[in-house]
Amino acid sequence: MVYFILKRMFQSVFVMLAVAFLAFSLFRFVGDPITQMTGVETSVADQERLREELGLNDPFVYQFARFTGDMLKGDFGFSYRTRQPVADMITSRIPATLELGVVALIISLLVGVPAGVYTALKPRGVLTQAILMTTLVGVSIPTFVIGIMLIFIFGVQLGWLPTFGRGGTVQIGGWESSLFTIDGWRALLLPAITLGVYQLTLTMRLVRAEMMEVMRTDYIRFAMARGVPMRRLHYKHALANTMVPVITIIGLQFGGVIAFSIVTESVFQWPGMGLLFLESIRFVDIPVMGVYLVVIAFFFVLVNLIVDLLYVAIDPRLRIKDVS
Amino acid sequence: MKTLQSAVLGGTLIMSAMGASAETFRWASTTDPQTMDPHAVNSAPVLSFLNNIYEGLVRRGQDMSIEPSLATSWEPLTDENGWRFHLRKDVTFQDGSAFTAEDVLFSYQRASDEAADVRSWFAPVSDVRVVDDHTIDFVNTAPNPLFPDSIANFMILDKDWATANDAALPARDAENFATMNVNGTGPFTLASRDPGVRTTLAPNANWWDEVNHNVTEAVFTPIGNSATGLAALLSGEIDFIQPIPLQDVAQVEGRDGFKVLEGEETRVIMFGFGHEHEALLYSSDVTDANPFTDPRVRLAAAHALDLASINRVLFRGKIDPASQLVPAGISGYSDANQDRPAFDQDRAKELLAEAGYPDGFSFGLKCPNDRYINDEALCRAAASMFAAVGLNAELSTGPVRDYWPQLREDDFDMYLLGWSPGTFDMEHPIRFLMHSQDDERKLGSWNFGNYSNARVDELLPLIQQEIDPAARQAMIDEVVTVTQDEVAYIPLYTQPLIWAAKDNIELTQRADNFFMLRWVSVN
Repeated sequence: MVYFILKRMFQSVFVMLAVAFLAFSLFRFVGDPITQMTGVETSVADQERLREELGLNDPFVYQFARFTGDMLKGDFGFSYRTRQPVADMITSRIPATLELGVVALIISLLVGVPAGVYTALKPRGVLTQAILMTTLVGVSIPTFVIGIMLIFIFGVQLGWLPTFGRGGTVQIGGWESSLFTIDGWRALLLPAITLGVYQLTLTMRLVRAEMMEVMRTDYIRFAMARGVPMRRLHYKHALANTMVPVITIIGLQFGGVIAFSIVTESVFQWPGMGLLFLESIRFVDIPVMGVYLVVIAFFFVLVNLIVDLLYVAIDPRLRIKDVS
Repeated sequence: MKTLQSAVLGGTLIMSAMGASAETFRWASTTDPQTMDPHAVNSAPVLSFLNNIYEGLVRRGQDMSIEPSLATSWEPLTDENGWRFHLRKDVTFQDGSAFTAEDVLFSYQRASDEAADVRSWFAPVSDVRVVDDHTIDFVNTAPNPLFPDSIANFMILDKDWATANDAALPARDAENFATMNVNGTGPFTLASRDPGVRTTLAPNANWWDEVNHNVTEAVFTPIGNSATGLAALLSGEIDFIQPIPLQDVAQVEGRDGFKVLEGEETRVIMFGFGHEHEALLYSSDVTDANPFTDPRVRLAAAHALDLASINRVLFRGKIDPASQLVPAGISGYSDANQDRPAFDQDRAKELLAEAGYPDGFSFGLKCPNDRYINDEALCRAAASMFAAVGLNAELSTGPVRDYWPQLREDDFDMYLLGWSPGTFDMEHPIRFLMHSQDDERKLGSWNFGNYSNARVDELLPLIQQEIDPAARQAMIDEVVTVTQDEVAYIPLYTQPLIWAAKDNIELTQRADNFFMLRWVSVN
């Protein structure tokens, strides 16, 4: 088990290196950081001097080597745009993104799983058809449109919820959390729903399909014949067997939720990593972009690892294999 | 729908009632100031924001005129070129220490250092001498009547504070104390700063000047997405936003309790040409010559543009056509050259025929798509107008971070540019856009197509040094006449400035797009 985790962590280093390499090979096409860093009146000579100082004239392989070398030493560099340490900038934005992602995931599970079970058990019900239709619409509208719609309905027209930002936050250690104040939750609700809609639909459809499949299997029919109570049959036997593939997909999707919260964060001016990344692109802030992409790659690897571990926890058969 | 509307109204009333009692003023803009260091970055978001905290020797009033600030008066030096500034007495920095000439000298050294992005302002300065605690001389290399005007954004910080906190120089690579902390003499001081998220300002109780605002706390939030910014205003969470997109003006005007503030920026939008290119880069038919070297072809392009239609369709009637590279109201502008080439397709075709291109030709037009208001739409419209006279523009657009490098590398046949004169004087565009490229003397650095005219080059230093306003204006008029005759650029229009606020907010919209908290009142 320890070997398994170590092996995965080792692989993750390669994934991050590969991502950093790809990112660096693309940065040259993003634009010129110098024209974004300096004013219009700055002379061409001063621009050139700055370019030289920042090492932007070096070949890209050399720049990449310097970036990875510094990273391995724990030096994440300084932002071109704000001159702040990149490590501080990113870590200060991680709580906002993670909280948003996790709450979005929880919303999608809390609604998606029961809805999936219901629609599987009553496939011809009117409510089932209604749910399926609604979620189909929900999944076909782009995220930013959903976000803007929610903002104009609940923020502008009804005035119930704030339209942007994180609201009241509380500092716990180095973690700035919006989960402990009413204001924080009010601000969190709309972005979390926006981010969770796609995930919710996916969960529901997956649970529904798996559940219908499981309900047709022999052991369920046999249990039914033996007179196992329907409640117990549905929620203990059928649902548990449904969850293994569902967790895989949902887990893998969670990496995507974190990575692609960019759109939601931009629409709600949510001060997470995604928003920071967007600002950095606008200013060709190469150090921040590089570290962000590497951090996201690390998240992906980490989430995959957790999914694999959850597998073992949920499916007893895998545990037995591991012991032998 | 009726219930919805009354709910909105109720919400707005509650919000404004809350705002009035606390006098907290919340505003948003698209870009966060990158730093709190007044010398590190020469960009409008930074200078505009920091003008609330720091002050210069002189400052600009509501109508952009120069008025005394930390200097009470100034006069030319008698025995050499330069200016003597008499400094205001009994001014203290926000940490309580006294403001003296030493702070001005220190700020000059800091701002003119290689690490400072604002150092170009001090190119004409050869020496700075402290005469006494409240008098300081700026010696210039040549007569420089406009020097006091050109340093309105040169902000003074406290010498002892900066040296004690290791911030004697602006941060170039890594941050320093002045990146996140301030100590100015201005009307507001920094209460808290979370870069990219929220910055809070509090009034400076010891400010020397008469207080004309009633703000007790000011909260700034950058909101990059314009739809989100509009929603934040309409939901009452912010009191004021700059700018809003043209297409949202009707939305704001249509609601009770909000107003749109419209003005004109000092930015003129224009087309430029590759004057020194030997051949077109993006042409499918003329590959061995550059027709734009012929002034008749450039004039034909100018005649092809129907600005009235562009104004009506793209800008909802909010732009003013421009004849020169600065709008009326800027010093050095004169009515002598106020005519621009009329929309005349027949004349355009005639000129093309005279120049040897009766069937026109194709060329490449470069435009940014995130720099100026409706820039991409403008270029699309212009391309179809060019096509109507036979000038087939192949349009390529891109984000501005990619755009300037392309222009610097001469990768264009024709391009779009907007220019706002940093000194609010006509000399500024002559220096940056009309003088031949000269990296050594730092001239013509934004003259991408390298328009070059010996007479213009000759006149620029004379204009810079001329003390007599009439003689100076005559020389400026000559430059404008020459460049208009040769169609060095096609000036199009002055960019509109569109801000939006709640009805109970009073503020001043200055033409340089700077927002000054000291003129805000929350009623």
